[in-house]
Amino acid sequence: MKRIIILASTLILGLSSFVLSEITEEGVKYQESEEAGGPEIVYTKPVKGVLFSHKLHVKELGLPCESCHTAIFEMEAFKSQRNPDFIMDSLYKGKYCGACHNGQTAFASNTKCATCHVGVKGLERMKKKAQAAEKK
Amino acid sequence: MNWKEIFMNWKEFFKNLKTEDQGFVPEDTRREFLKIGLIITGVAAGGSLLNVVSVVAEGLATSEELHKEYPYKPHYSMVFRVDRCIGCERCVEACRQTNNVPEYGWRTKILERVDTKAVDQQRLFMPILCNHCNNPPCVRACPTKATYKDKQTGIVRMANYKCIGCKTCMAACPYDARYFNEEKGAIDKCDFCWESRLSKGIKITACAEACPAGVRIFGDLSDPNSEVYKIVHQMGKAVWVLKPETGAKPNVFYTIG
Amino acid sequence: MEKKNNLVAEGIISKDEFKQNWLQFLMEFLSGSKDFYILLVLSGLIVLISAMFGVNAMYVGYSHVYGIYREIPWGILISGYIFFVVISTGLSIISSLGHVFGVKSLIPISKRSVYLSIVTLFTGFMVIFFDLENPFRMAIWNVFSPNLTSNIWWMGTLYGVSLIFVTFEFLLTLLRKYRYAMIFGLLTLIGKVLAISNLGAVFGMLYGRDFWYGPFIPIYLIASAISSGCAAIIFFTYLGYRIRNERFDKSMELALQVVGKLWALSLAILAFLIFWKIVTGIASSEGQWLAIRELMFGKYAVNFWFFEIFLGLITPFFLLLVSKFRNLNQMFVASLLAFIGIFFTRVDLVVIGQIVSQFFEYKVTDFPVILTYEPTLHEIMLIIGACAFCVFSFLIGEKVFKGHHTEIH
Repeated sequence: MKRIIILASTLILGLSSFVLSEITEEGVKYQESEEAGGPEIVYTKPVKGVLFSHKLHVKELGLPCESCHTAIFEMEAFKSQRNPDFIMDSLYKGKYCGACHNGQTAFASNTKCATCHVGVKGLERMKKKAQAAEKK
Repeated sequence: MNWKEIFMNWKEFFKNLKTEDQGFVPEDTRREFLKIGLIITGVAAGGSLLNVVSVVAEGLATSEELHKEYPYKPHYSMVFRVDRCIGCERCVEACRQTNNVPEYGWRTKILERVDTKAVDQQRLFMPILCNHCNNPPCVRACPTKATYKDKQTGIVRMANYKCIGCKTCMAACPYDARYFNEEKGAIDKCDFCWESRLSKGIKITACAEACPAGVRIFGDLSDPNSEVYKIVHQMGKAVWVLKPETGAKPNVFYTIG
Repeated sequence: MEKKNNLVAEGIISKDEFKQNWLQFLMEFLSGSKDFYILLVLSGLIVLISAMFGVNAMYVGYSHVYGIYREIPWGILISGYIFFVVISTGLSIISSLGHVFGVKSLIPISKRSVYLSIVTLFTGFMVIFFDLENPFRMAIWNVFSPNLTSNIWWMGTLYGVSLIFVTFEFLLTLLRKYRYAMIFGLLTLIGKVLAISNLGAVFGMLYGRDFWYGPFIPIYLIASAISSGCAAIIFFTYLGYRIRNERFDKSMELALQVVGKLWALSLAILAFLIFWKIVTGIASSEGQWLAIRELMFGKYAVNFWFFEIFLGLITPFFLLLVSKFRNLNQMFVASLLAFIGIFFTRVDLVVIGQIVSQFFEYKVTDFPVILTYEPTLHEIMLIIGACAFCVFSFLIGEKVFKGHHTEIH
């Protein structure tokens, strides 16, 4: 009996590591469905509340995974923000999001700031969504 | 036209009355206002629609009037470049720590403006704080002069020991800048970090220092070399204040860029 | 106490007279019916319970037990204060018609009105005591650091001074020094009328609050004072006579008739004022329109249509007409309903002025366009306690002052 329970819980934990939602010190990850193509990620470093939406880029804009992974971004959420050069200046030089958000492929990263910078409020909202999903 | 002329030619007068829109502002009035760098803008980009003829005149003093009637030295003022605000709230945190602002209150806040029908960008962050008005409704309304406008610097300050907690200033303030601080037993609000920094020789407020995006520019409006002076007195970009129709003549300005 | 002794010291009354008065009061008080004492004890208990709520609120901190908050700093305690002081002003206005300006038909109601105006004014002060965060500082800094541009300062000072004047007026009336009483009556009237207009101006001069700004509220409050004063006179006179099982004499009936007619007129004026406030408000700024919309069609619609208009204006007016100003039972019911309606009117006045968010134009997610305010148990208990205090003091006054009978001289 005990073994079955241990087995079952490990399976569940293992499955949930493809995690639908996660709230850590580094930020919030939330994926509402498989078709989204990846989770919504809210970064917290160097500033709180920067959103990258897989749903927007993959599902709605139809970008394939290879357009960013793994040349520009690794396949691990929050990996980028651990780099000390994850700052706007790097974007202006074409790194990270700046690879596309340069004014030609997509809007320039020194415009429309609040589109991606959802702020502390956006972070809290995403946390709530993630918590609600976790409860289910 | 004086009253007599209006009366004699009333039909003409009424026919010629036009809406208060940019095209019909008389040339010298327009020049007056351009002198202080406030271009007439039709875009409601975060403040009231600035209508040159009535609203701006009430909302902001003209340049000469400003420095004669409000001879503060330094005339502390703040400018927000709202398009740069990213809502990281580092300013709010810095303010909280520097000025011991309790959890239940705030001296500065970041409002999140969302308009799903807007083109391009649908969210804009807008910081607010006490506007240190030149004609403060709170100072007029306080029964014990517990809040007053400092004669030297123009900062609207609190004398906590006099506050009776009637909350009239909270009702009078058009900007929701005040709250009752239980620990101090008095109303509290932004004082441009006067007590915590300016009076101790630090020339910049905690929030302005903490901002990573250059949103908050704090300085002396009477000093032509300061950045706030340059931004407010320029012709190229729109500069506005919140709720100029209240006649409070705020000293906190908003701009883009 | 102090004042009475001063009067002895200044030779205005003799020591014997003073002792006599005191004994008289005591004897009168001890000769009541059983019902009287039950009512007295009941109201006294309610006062004590609500005082406990008040002290608890002071101890715990108002922000934790009251429903007010940063965006809505004024709640039903302020409404309660306005309710009581406006009644007090109205009582002063109408009673001064009698004994200051010599309208003979109104003299019978004067004494009770003066007494009640003291009681209601004092009650108003007690309610505000539990709203101010630092009430004791007020005594010091209102005197030593007055702000002459502040309507609150003027109102507080004028009502404070009026309380002293009206107390003198009442005492002098008791001592039958009618000439001096008249002088103080005039001073009280002037003080209270100036005070109530400043009370209106507390709201009316706030340009940042669209619903309140303008000369309407000071004007409206004076008319409302006359209306609520009339209602109070009818209410308490009727009760006073019922408690003492007395019959109304001719002069009192006439007095109440006159008061009833004055009341009907003031209700008509009020209806006119309110109608134009609403209509001009609808046609004015967005902020005012939102507030009025909320008042008439939103969460406050019941407050407005049922309590303010139906109970406060229409039913009393109708009952007054039906009663032909002679049927005192109907007039009493009218006054009772009117009191309830008037209280809700005060609540609406204070709350509606604040429920439109200061940032409603900016489409912010931080505040809804219409804020909400819910009074808490503490606030409600304090209001109930204040009303109980009025009843309590009224009952004592009836007995001690022998029904406030006045000789016509």
